[in-house]
Amino acid sequence: MVITPIHYIVVPLLAAFAIPLLVKIHKELPRIIPGLVMFYNIIISIVLMQQVNEFGYVSEVIAGWKAPWGINLIITPFSGFLVSLISFMGFVIWLYQYRFKKVIDVGELKSYGILQMMMITGAIGIIITGDIFNMFVFLEIVAITAISLTSFYRHRDGAEAGFKYLLIGGFSSTLILLAILLLYTQVGTLNMAEISERMHLVPQGMKATILVLFIIGFGIEAEMFPLNGWAPDAYSQAPGPTSAAFAGIVVKAGVYGLIRIIFTLFDIEGAFDFLIIAGLVTMIIAEFSALKQTNLKRMLAYSSIGQMGLVMIAFGIGTKAAVFAALFLMFNHAVIKSLLFMSGSILMYNSKDKTISTLSGMGKKLPFISLLFSLGAFAIVGLPPFSGFWSKLYVLTAAANQEMILLIGAILAVSIVEIVYYFRVVSKMYFAEETEHIAIFKPSINAKIAMGILGAIILIIGLYPDLITGYLHNAADMILDKASYIDFVLNSNAPVQ
Amino acid sequence: MNLFFIILLILFSSAILAFISNRIVRGSSGIIAFIGITAASILFFTRLSIGNTYSFTLGGIQMQFGLNSFTYLFAIIVLGLGVLASLYSIQYMKGKERLGYFYFNFVLTILGMVGIIFSQDFITFFIFWEIMTWSSYLIVIYNGYSSSKVGIKYMIFSALGAYAMLTAIVSIKGIYGTFMIKDAIAAGAFNFTDHFYIPILLLIGFAVKAALMPLHVWAPKSYSMSPMSFTAIFSGAMSKMGILGMGLVLTSIYSHASPEVSVYSLILKQVLGWLGGITAVMATIYALIQTDAKKLLAYSSIAQLGYIVVGLSTGTKLGVMAALFLAVVHAIFKGTLFMVAGAVERQAGTTDMTKVSGLIRKMPYTFFAALLSIIALAGVPPLGGFVGKWMLYESLITESNNYFLVIVVFFSSTAAFLYSYRFLFGLFLGQEEKETEHVKEAPLTMVIPMLILALLLIVTGLYPGILFEPIAHGMEYLGYSHVNWDMSVLTNIWGEQTNMSYIFSLIGIVFVVVFIFITLKGYKGTRNVGTKEISTSGEIPLEHENLTYQMDFFKPFERAAAPLYKRSMNKIWNDIGNALEAVFNFTRKIYTGNGQTYALFVIIFLVILLIFKDSLFAN
Amino acid sequence: MQQEFHEIFVKYHEIITLGVYGTAIGLMLIGLYAVLMKKNLVKIVIGLSIMDAGLHLLFIGIGYVQGGTAPIFSPGYEDAGDRMVDPVPQALVLTAIVIGFAVTAVALSLIIRLYKHHHTAKIDQIKSLKW
Repeated sequence: MVITPIHYIVVPLLAAFAIPLLVKIHKELPRIIPGLVMFYNIIISIVLMQQVNEFGYVSEVIAGWKAPWGINLIITPFSGFLVSLISFMGFVIWLYQYRFKKVIDVGELKSYGILQMMMITGAIGIIITGDIFNMFVFLEIVAITAISLTSFYRHRDGAEAGFKYLLIGGFSSTLILLAILLLYTQVGTLNMAEISERMHLVPQGMKATILVLFIIGFGIEAEMFPLNGWAPDAYSQAPGPTSAAFAGIVVKAGVYGLIRIIFTLFDIEGAFDFLIIAGLVTMIIAEFSALKQTNLKRMLAYSSIGQMGLVMIAFGIGTKAAVFAALFLMFNHAVIKSLLFMSGSILMYNSKDKTISTLSGMGKKLPFISLLFSLGAFAIVGLPPFSGFWSKLYVLTAAANQEMILLIGAILAVSIVEIVYYFRVVSKMYFAEETEHIAIFKPSINAKIAMGILGAIILIIGLYPDLITGYLHNAADMILDKASYIDFVLNSNAPVQ
Repeated sequence: MNLFFIILLILFSSAILAFISNRIVRGSSGIIAFIGITAASILFFTRLSIGNTYSFTLGGIQMQFGLNSFTYLFAIIVLGLGVLASLYSIQYMKGKERLGYFYFNFVLTILGMVGIIFSQDFITFFIFWEIMTWSSYLIVIYNGYSSSKVGIKYMIFSALGAYAMLTAIVSIKGIYGTFMIKDAIAAGAFNFTDHFYIPILLLIGFAVKAALMPLHVWAPKSYSMSPMSFTAIFSGAMSKMGILGMGLVLTSIYSHASPEVSVYSLILKQVLGWLGGITAVMATIYALIQTDAKKLLAYSSIAQLGYIVVGLSTGTKLGVMAALFLAVVHAIFKGTLFMVAGAVERQAGTTDMTKVSGLIRKMPYTFFAALLSIIALAGVPPLGGFVGKWMLYESLITESNNYFLVIVVFFSSTAAFLYSYRFLFGLFLGQEEKETEHVKEAPLTMVIPMLILALLLIVTGLYPGILFEPIAHGMEYLGYSHVNWDMSVLTNIWGEQTNMSYIFSLIGIVFVVVFIFITLKGYKGTRNVGTKEISTSGEIPLEHENLTYQMDFFKPFERAAAPLYKRSMNKIWNDIGNALEAVFNFTRKIYTGNGQTYALFVIIFLVILLIFKDSLFAN
Repeated sequence: MQQEFHEIFVKYHEIITLGVYGTAIGLMLIGLYAVLMKKNLVKIVIGLSIMDAGLHLLFIGIGYVQGGTAPIFSPGYEDAGDRMVDPVPQALVLTAIVIGFAVTAVALSLIIRLYKHHHTAKIDQIKSLKW
């Protein structure tokens, strides 16, 4: 069988619809199917990334309608990197959750599997599609499934978080749709490469308006301040694996949208400065808010928003080194924050009233989980020799090359705040007197393996970052090279196999 | 494989092994750590020579390991003290919890310091600096919840320093395009001409580890809260990493000081000198009123580091030499003293000087080590401390003409006698307490390291030239022209010579005579008296009354200096911290919890962007 | 009859176009008002739907060509290529309507759950997650 990019979308989507049927055959199937699908996605990633390395890109024309008339899927080093990351994270998250929901009945398990598969379909679709309306549709798929997953647990305040997400997400979809409409009236096409080519025809005022609408629409998904009111609630109320998926999958897709719009579609210098400022404000407010949190997952959520702020700053600097750093940050954020959410939700599950202060003594009760959480905490604040250090270093170096000394100062000052709240948790876990004993829910072996994989990645990348820097450099080149993107899509339509 | 990597790998694998082995054989971690550190030291001193370098690329950044004569000096401190402290640690930590955790971090800290010494570029320097920081943080919080606040404070200040340093490092990369320390110095990164903030930020970073005012507030508690076998390294060796960095930066600032920027370097000289001086005085004053021996030593450490900074700040040949000499000697005697405190803590259960006293008969070897190191600390001839202080005074008086600073340093050095006395008398002399009757001498593996260090103090006093040799080489590396030194003769600028071996033998003879006299007399007619055996004015003290010598010690002094104690730097930092937390707490109120408010934010943001779109997104 | 209607339409084209745009923007503003000002969850969701409806109307309005035909080449409409109504906005609107329907369905189910949990449908009273 020839592997093409469409498999990325079709296979999970098919699985999503097959799950309710397969559950009739055997009730274990809804557990296993997502894992197989994600594993297949990893295989696709490996095969396609090889092709990308060889040819520079892989594209697929759907239903014989060549670009710009039809919808085409295109995998460049940049989107290929993100899709591989998402596939991998999806697999690890599945591994983590495989036995996690033992207590849940089959009906719920079924819907969880469907929603998760849909969400991954959507996130991958956002990234590999070459059509902007198609991107919008996938974004809506992600939003709706993410809302449903947020409110998955009935006994939590999930519905409240879900409703807030829905309200803000409704704005997001309306604004993006409006932007697409305006764009369409101006350039008469929905193909992103062609839009980019014709962008110079659009009058300046209209261009800025469309950009504003897009920035707000995708900014909501990318957790830009002040559009991120939904995020802490959604992160903290969603089931553990879903929180990890938010950090590892959903946000990545949102940021991809933002970056695609700003870097490829528009050629407006001011947008980069705007990204720096927006990212800085996002980061500062989020990290400040994280400091006094009592709920661990909420704290992690704010920290996640702060990290996305840093990613935006790095993209905003806009040089090749900075984009490379931003991609490295995205990779690290996906791996580390997912690890933190995975281990953190097990820790929270075992604490008495789900607050940080009842985490005392977890170091003894759950030594492996606590160790991994600490590893994640050390890595995310950027201590060497863990992977988080390199991305932070690259961001700072990129900023220093542009002589943005104050920006460096701000990033590092915020890092100190980050250190305070993460280390507070770590020292609480290990060195506080044990609070009263409650029955410990031990995570199953597959969850431990999943977290162990992420921990190993943190260590290995930390000691030898060259393992991925090559890919990231390619991807960074691709983001900045608008001309060849247009060339790939419009001028060489034969699908490369 | 390269020798640099092998040494680091040995340390790393012994850290991992130490972590694991405690689960298999209880208490084996200490031995593994000792073996690992010793093996690394042997390899270092036998196979590695000054001038070796090794370049490699990691993460697209050119990096280099190397050894030069300046860092070699610090390698002596780190590895020497590391071996002895880990030997000492085996018995000291015996029977405690989480040994795997402790030794893992213990070895990692030493790995970090060795890495700092190896690194010839800023990135490896920073990486190892941070490894050293977080592993030592993990040891600071080893003693449980009460120390977790202390640990956070340590971590915050370390992060402050480290990030100041990182800002400087990436700025150097941005401006001069290099991460190599040597290239950066050659390119003039440390002179004040264009980018004055680079050396300032670097100095701030190093000042934190060197516990310089006003960045010292983490030190007293962190030093006294960690296990003593670690504090010996923490205070003895790790603070010297700050001195290492300061030495590098300061000397290149001074040597690059062109006429138009020499004013700035003069100001820097004054500021640093005074900061060092004030640190010395304030820490000494605080040390005086401590009743806990560990805290007393912690403050005394800070004071001693103050002297070293004063010496470095002069930038003159003699001043820097004095500072480096003091750095080595301080590592030796402060290492010993913390080991002594640890031995007392282990044997008597506490280091509170109002509870423990009269241990001289119980722990004679420990007392001997303590005595020698206190003599060195106070700067009394004939031990090493005297030589260092002598040079420091001489450089201050003759070369820098900074007489007020001399007075300040003199004052603190004199006041140091008081706490030295307090320490020695409080723990070892005085009447015996009933509670300490059962106390025995510390185990052999704890006594041996202390005695070795004490012996080193005698040697450095008698033949300071042993240290002058590496120091002189190191200073030549830093760019000082030929440095004169003699094996045991100190020469001042007027050509007068002071022969240490002569002084040493003179004082030694006096000492031995007095010792024999006291011993003989002691065997004759004296009898041990407990505190409760005394009755004054017919009043017989009750059993629970605390009559140790240390009660209300220096009370008049304390009363006199009360206003000084009120305004502590600690309080100021705490206020800053609380204010910041209040601000943070206020900021998060933006997330009101009402979905509609969030929707309103979106619309307001949209409207603002649409209004300013032309100025924001102009082409 | 059809011919008659067409003539009227041509005659008042400007007014009708303006009317369509005006209605679309008006609907969006009404929806926005409901979302931002109404406290009842159901009313907020209705506001979201109205906002979407306005947007959809705008899409259709923009895509319309005066006197256009369906974009199908059939007997009698050989010149469809010149005067067809742009089909893309209509296709987009169809998709958008489906999405809006899904969002509304999810929203209403969430409201039911919220009402069971909090016994109120007032958005400013459902604030257990904050700060």
